[in-house]
Amino acid sequence: MSTIAVVEDNPDNRLLLHALLDDAYDIVEFENGVDALAGLRAGRPDLVLLDISLPGMDGNEILAHIRGDSALRSLPVIALTAHAMIGDREKYLAAGFDDYVTKPIVDEAILIGAIERGLGRRAGM
Amino acid sequence: MDPTLTMTSNEPGTDPEALERLRRFGGAKLLGDMIALFLEAVPQRLAAARRGLTGGDAHAVEHELHALKSSSAQLGALRMHRLSLEGETLARAGTLDSASEILDALEAEEPRVRAWLSAACTAGDE
Repeated sequence: MSTIAVVEDNPDNRLLLHALLDDAYDIVEFENGVDALAGLRAGRPDLVLLDISLPGMDGNEILAHIRGDSALRSLPVIALTAHAMIGDREKYLAAGFDDYVTKPIVDEAILIGAIERGLGRRAGM
Repeated sequence: MDPTLTMTSNEPGTDPEALERLRRFGGAKLLGDMIALFLEAVPQRLAAARRGLTGGDAHAVEHELHALKSSSAQLGALRMHRLSLEGETLARAGTLDSASEILDALEAEEPRVRAWLSAACTAGDE
């Protein structure tokens, strides 16, 4: 079973993601960037779901740390954001995220699809 | 009064479909747990945003209202979502005086959202 790291400070969002993903994946959860980076280095999940708006280090900074770390660089990272403005997708993909999923989660198939595409890319490397 | 706030009052305040969706995602257990977490977080977020306003910390106000915006949308608290979005945008622009009016409206909206979600929880228990 693939392991998904969820980096999200909102407990209700973590609970929802856990409910949606727990049957198909192993889930590890982090509430902030410092814990997440330490956890990713120690645990090596297969994919990261990364909230953008976090207290302290935000999602973009965490991504920069991941892409700057030779051991983590190739991890698929999906941006999870409630910003949802026109042009966001292009902005996040250009920033180095592999994919982009908006909150609120209305259709779980969009989330699962993004995860499976990310895991597929990893398996194909 | 801000024209966007007037417009807000004419639109539906809540979306029962959002609650049905959560029930579909994880049954009455997930719905009840999500509502409980949300109702616990709302006063904390509003209080933290109020502290941010008092202290002139626009970034804190933006962060708290952003989180509230996200959660209220997932829970179908539409009016709270719209107000949070408006307040977040104002805080990001640094216009804290206007954000303060939005926070007043959010504080007034909280008991309505609490009553609606508490009733949904009780209905789910039957």
